[in-house]
Amino acid sequence: MASAGETMAPGGPARALPRERFWYPYLLIAPSMITLTVVSLIPFIYTVYLSFHAAKFGRVTDFIGFDNYAQLLTDTRFWNSIGVAATFVFIAVPIEFMLGLAGALVLNQNVRGRAVLIPLLFMPTMMAPIVVGLLWKIMLAGSWGFLSYNVLERFNLIEGTSVFASPDLALYALIFVDIWQWTPFMMLAFFAGLQALPLGPYRAAAVDGANPLQMFFHITLPMLTPLLVVIGLLRFIDAFKVFDTVYILTGGGPGTSTETPSILANKMTFEFWNIGEASALAVLVWLAFFAFCNVFYQIAKKRLNAF
Amino acid sequence: MAEESARPQGSRGLLWTSVTVVYAAVVLFPIFWMASMMVKPNEAMFARPTAWFFTPTLEHFDYVLAQGFHWSLLTSFVLCTLSTALVVVIGTPAAYAFARFEMKLKDDMFLFILGTRMAPPVCLVIPFYFIFARLNLLDTFLGLTLAYMTFNLSFYIWVLRSFCRDLPVELEEAAALEGWSRAQVFRRVVFPLLRNGIVATAVLCFIFAWNEFLFAFMLGGKAVQTLPVSIPKLITSQGVRWGEMAVVGMTALLPVLAVVFVLQRHIVRGLTLGAVKG
Repeated sequence: MASAGETMAPGGPARALPRERFWYPYLLIAPSMITLTVVSLIPFIYTVYLSFHAAKFGRVTDFIGFDNYAQLLTDTRFWNSIGVAATFVFIAVPIEFMLGLAGALVLNQNVRGRAVLIPLLFMPTMMAPIVVGLLWKIMLAGSWGFLSYNVLERFNLIEGTSVFASPDLALYALIFVDIWQWTPFMMLAFFAGLQALPLGPYRAAAVDGANPLQMFFHITLPMLTPLLVVIGLLRFIDAFKVFDTVYILTGGGPGTSTETPSILANKMTFEFWNIGEASALAVLVWLAFFAFCNVFYQIAKKRLNAF
Repeated sequence: MAEESARPQGSRGLLWTSVTVVYAAVVLFPIFWMASMMVKPNEAMFARPTAWFFTPTLEHFDYVLAQGFHWSLLTSFVLCTLSTALVVVIGTPAAYAFARFEMKLKDDMFLFILGTRMAPPVCLVIPFYFIFARLNLLDTFLGLTLAYMTFNLSFYIWVLRSFCRDLPVELEEAAALEGWSRAQVFRRVVFPLLRNGIVATAVLCFIFAWNEFLFAFMLGGKAVQTLPVSIPKLITSQGVRWGEMAVVGMTALLPVLAVVFVLQRHIVRGLTLGAVKG
């Protein structure tokens, strides 16, 4: 592959193939690009349009410039939702990261039965988020849920009601659920990274009499860092989007204690029918995500040599 | 496998295996618990202290069937198959083209695809709702299939491109020297090598569609009610139908269980959008 790279002509790696007409690749991508434009770009432009108009109860009326944005940015509920999402992400993701790394290191020892264990560990990540929510609704339900009764009540943390009904604890319960759902993903992604590391440096270090801790900090960690950054970033972006589990477990409540921007935008649209302001929120979230996504792409491309 | 030769062997293997098994058991316990609730009579379900033993009952299954939840199962299946098939048909050439050809604005188009994948669904559901309302696409298979394109077509192109790049271009060059056309090269050389990648990526698309909630909830309705959407419907004004929710939840889980065993290593690659080769 390296030699192909060195001699690569401007025509691309496939230069020995019959010369294409210049439009050939565009023909291949056209159906996909048209579809994605219709389902993604047009809705985005429409949302921007809505965000500049007075739109309540499904009727779009006057152009009002940035009024929706001004209203949104002075809305305490908006800032609350940013705070909720920030708390959620900045507690959940680092914990998932550390637990995932520890788990990957354990799995990378000579663990037997990986062929069965690895698929099973993927279950929380691969199952429908709505079912994840359901599982924990059951485990933490009212006074009879398995964990409410056997753990929370025993340690006097909460009594007679679901933890999701407590304004102080609901957000932390959601964080716990997210950790349950996503730690296995971190663990297995890091494990894949560990498996791909070359053995040479370890052999050399073993000859020099390095202990496992030294090997971890001087060999494993430096070689794994690009992967850790990319996976961490990906998880970070995804965690901001959390919707389904929150929706079924708390619906943003009690009050606004677990109301993330996604939940708020959904409520603004389909409960308050304040479509203009909801669109303004959606546009801001959208732009933020596009920035995140660009950072992810650049870092993954440069540091991991991926894509 | 390879790393084992560089690390200490022996009794420690047993220790780490036990640690992993215990961890997996704790993590998976809620799934086991939900499975047991499918056949748990209500008295045992709400018992304090927790009841471990009970006489199994099928009443929850009866209710679920009486409410017509098997139609949701069928809807989910049809919708996911339809949208996945469409994604494979239009996405495969694009993934191949992105892996093999130089194009103007390729990087920008690629970033646009990634952006589509990463956009929060709630940002899309708002415009979709109002556009679909005008076009009479609410509560139709076509509408939801289109909506699912946002995350699945972009995902499919992105991940399948990483599979395409793993193929040695020399094979295609050799075939071309034999005088085969582009289409012949693709059909006889590329496609057979790419088949596993296509299947793995398509199966992941199917699962993402299977698991999807927000679009189905907001853009579907009575005619197109998927399995995930039918779960919150069991939180009724007369109370929560826990056993019934467990039945529907476990039904939604079964394909996922099959898939994690079949796909194994490909899942990491899929979930990291091809950044990590599992």
